[in-house]
Amino acid sequence: MKEIINRFLGRGAQASKEDAKQRLKFLLIHDQVDLTPGQLDQMKTEILEVIARYVEVEADENSEFKLEKGEDHVALVSSIPVRRVVQRAKAS
Amino acid sequence: MSECIVVTSGKGGVGKTTTSANLGVALALLGKKVVVVDADIGLRNLDVILGLENRIVYDLVHVVEGECRLKQALIRDKRADGLFLLPAAQTRDKNAVTPDQMRELVGRLKENHDIILVDCPAGIEQGFKNAVAGADRAVIVTTPEVSAIRDADRIIGMVEAAELPEPRLIINRFRPKMVEAGDMMNKEDILEILAIPLLGVVPDHEDIIVSANRGIPVVFDENSIVGEAFRRVARRIAGETDVPELEFDQDNGMWSTLMRWMGLGPAREVAR
Repeated sequence: MKEIINRFLGRGAQASKEDAKQRLKFLLIHDQVDLTPGQLDQMKTEILEVIARYVEVEADENSEFKLEKGEDHVALVSSIPVRRVVQRAKAS
Repeated sequence: MSECIVVTSGKGGVGKTTTSANLGVALALLGKKVVVVDADIGLRNLDVILGLENRIVYDLVHVVEGECRLKQALIRDKRADGLFLLPAAQTRDKNAVTPDQMRELVGRLKENHDIILVDCPAGIEQGFKNAVAGADRAVIVTTPEVSAIRDADRIIGMVEAAELPEPRLIINRFRPKMVEAGDMMNKEDILEILAIPLLGVVPDHEDIIVSANRGIPVVFDENSIVGEAFRRVARRIAGETDVPELEFDQDNGMWSTLMRWMGLGPAREVAR
């Protein structure tokens, strides 16, 4: 509430602690699995290539591919919208 | 029963040495027999923070190499009964000592002292391994910054890998006004990320600079808020379970007063 009022009055317009928290959480997850964001991107590209052999998938902006921290594990969470099944995959 | 506690952080410059010095003094003032050990070989600093730099004759490496007796290297702090400093060597490097030698040294120190506080060097290499070798438990010092917390997380993992019990956290350089403005992570934010028990929050304060200038640890100043923060941490380390949280004075400017009057808390940032 106070934050909102502060913002309204032009004080502390950007609560930078939220940036800090988000960056930190992202860093710690990547540190834990020892996988840089670049490597994760590479993996995403390769996995999408494989998936595309079977189904037609949505363009990049609609697909999600990220690491999430659970209680005592890190999970690779991905959501890739499927347009339609590719014919030749059905046939084989 | 004697206990060895290592004060560590991973990142440099977060206040490990200041914390070690002040907790050492505060624990001695509580009646404990304390040795603070400077494990930062080659970059000796704990002596300066304690104001004991002019009294060093022998150091930790001399003891380990058998060039003097342990007792000869221990510097007694005349201002706090029961407090001793074992200084680091300034002209050697971290490889001058092995973890086995540190373990043996801590064992000997335990014979005559209740608490051995080891000031760990920054980093995760040999110096860290030496400092942790003889420890029974660890205290992690961090500041409310992304880089310091990231390193603290890594060090917590390494402390666990060294098979020490769950470490406890000191949040140093805390700035209540910045927290209030949303420009600094608060106690809850940090604990959510690091997920270890909290020993206390120490505010960022000019008193620390002044005390370092003079070589008089701030816990000697009964009126200092930072001194009080360290004294409360020391009481928790000594086993007191009902030490109240420290309340930082907020500015009493018009804005804060108005916010408080409107009931738009927190009126005070409470720290523990």
